[in-house]
Amino acid sequence: MTALSLLRLIPEPGKITSGRILYGDKDVVQMTDEEIREFRGNEVAMIFQDPMTSLNPVLRVGFQIKEAMAAHRRFTSAQAEERVLPMLQRVRIPAAKERVRDYPHQFSGGMRQRAMIAMGVSNEPSLLIADEPTTALDVTVQASIIELLRDLSRELRAAVILITHNMALVASLCNRVIVMYSGRIVEEGPTRAIFKNPQHPYTWSLLRSMPRVDEVGHERLVSIRGLPPDLSKMPPGCKFHPRCRFRIDKCLTEEPTLDEVDPGQYARCWVLMKNVKNPEAEAQK
Amino acid sequence: MSTPAAATTPATDPTLKNPLVRVVDLVKHFPAAGGLLSRNIVHAVDGVNLAIEQGETLGLVGESGCGKSTLGRVIVRLLPATSGHLYYKDTDLTALRGEKLRRMRQEVQMIFQDPYASLNPRMTVGDIVSEPLRNFGVSRGKKAEQRVQEMMRVVGLNPNFVNRYPHEFSGGQRQRIGIARALVLDPAFIVADEPISALDVSIQAQIVNLLEDLQAKFKLTYLFIAHDLSVVRHISDRVAVMYLGKIVEVGDSESIRAKPLHPYTKVLQSSVPVPDPDLEAERKPILLRGDIPSPVNPPSACRFHTRCPIAQKICSEVEPPLERKENGRYAACHFAGQL
Repeated sequence: MTALSLLRLIPEPGKITSGRILYGDKDVVQMTDEEIREFRGNEVAMIFQDPMTSLNPVLRVGFQIKEAMAAHRRFTSAQAEERVLPMLQRVRIPAAKERVRDYPHQFSGGMRQRAMIAMGVSNEPSLLIADEPTTALDVTVQASIIELLRDLSRELRAAVILITHNMALVASLCNRVIVMYSGRIVEEGPTRAIFKNPQHPYTWSLLRSMPRVDEVGHERLVSIRGLPPDLSKMPPGCKFHPRCRFRIDKCLTEEPTLDEVDPGQYARCWVLMKNVKNPEAEAQK
Repeated sequence: MSTPAAATTPATDPTLKNPLVRVVDLVKHFPAAGGLLSRNIVHAVDGVNLAIEQGETLGLVGESGCGKSTLGRVIVRLLPATSGHLYYKDTDLTALRGEKLRRMRQEVQMIFQDPYASLNPRMTVGDIVSEPLRNFGVSRGKKAEQRVQEMMRVVGLNPNFVNRYPHEFSGGQRQRIGIARALVLDPAFIVADEPISALDVSIQAQIVNLLEDLQAKFKLTYLFIAHDLSVVRHISDRVAVMYLGKIVEVGDSESIRAKPLHPYTKVLQSSVPVPDPDLEAERKPILLRGDIPSPVNPPSACRFHTRCPIAQKICSEVEPPLERKENGRYAACHFAGQL
């Protein structure tokens, strides 16, 4: 939802009720319809989880990529036409020349995601928002899509926002991390700090709740008890307190602020993991 | 029993003392979609040999379309096998019919992936969990009620909720209902098909830990099917890797991690990211060319040869058998351990 807000794509009746979204020094919230169109097409590209629902099934893949380029008038129709094949090659679609005239259903899931990426980067955006781009894909395909995103963002010098539930992907691709819970940022900082030294109990528990493929021996997973709260019936105080194993009385009534806990690292917690003795044993109780 | 003297398949692995389930040359073909005139066949499971030791968890891992779910369904006999044999203890299940098959079904149960689709929305939780008791004439009335409440406690659900409907529960709680239903007949063997992949990440560990606890408590044997190698390795004593209808590697979890023998296992392992930025900076995934081929028309000989980084000419000509490479370890590759 945060990503959709960035592009002002929130479905009705939802709306941005307050705050600003600054892109450079322009406020996206205040943009006119014409400005936001320019912004969406030329500055930002969005890649969604399910490429099949984002591609039109009755139009050829090549045509859809050309359309995306022409629509934002950075290129003439003829220029766009010429750029389609190099774009498909750039996203490493095998035998691109033969596949330009294919329909989306003739593509595999991984190739559809590549086509979506081609469409997204065809206008050379400076911001790439990838919303669970590999969740629907097999792990071997995921690996190649992540490599592609990494390479493209370097070539384009584009910033990337990766939205994911997969902490390992974050470790693989990101410089900085924001951890969200119930509509709030609960922790933020450089990737290395967040993974080596998480301070919010939610971050700490998430990292220990997933088995690692390089696990030696068997360690019992840390399970986060309970369920994420209903966003219309939020608990008072810290939104994570009903599930937190390290809470203190204050957490039940007073919502913590997002404070700097280490240079560049912020956490929204009254306790902080560095103050918990033997958290592993505590978490298994 | 048709155990050959030269025991070289995973179905006759001599390191297993007490195999509960044995799968021998199992084949499951489906007619491909495409109308009556189509003669195409989907080779979903194509000659699988496996054994599952009493009390262990065998993990079955593979990517979408490799046939792992089909294999699970054939093993619990939700689907009939096209050919091959399936032994439970020493009974050939493929030959069982009628009352004997019904009795076997009490011992073999399944947990499904989708906790939304696998529970009847019009039945209360009490009815869902007690249905197997009624179906098999095990118990009724007060006795059945008591058993249901006991099972709900065992899986971590409030027994006072027996009169609620599935929609009143979260995904994780629904999966617990599915587990209670699978356990109510006191089975020995459970096939769990992707039991956590539909759940929120914060809930997955709850279910993994629950399955481990239940296994210890009731001495269960699991076949755990999943696409996620990390989860499979975590929960399993041994792992079988499947590619396009064939098992390509079998071995214990730890030695597969330390030294995968089949190139596909190695590729899978290298593709999975780990939650450690320092290790990630070093990790080089081995990228595969192309997509998984269609099981309607699988590649000749070794099915992985079209994508394998170390394939040679022989790989497209001679199919490598799934043979013993080390104690308890099997791989179907002419160049095992060389990637």
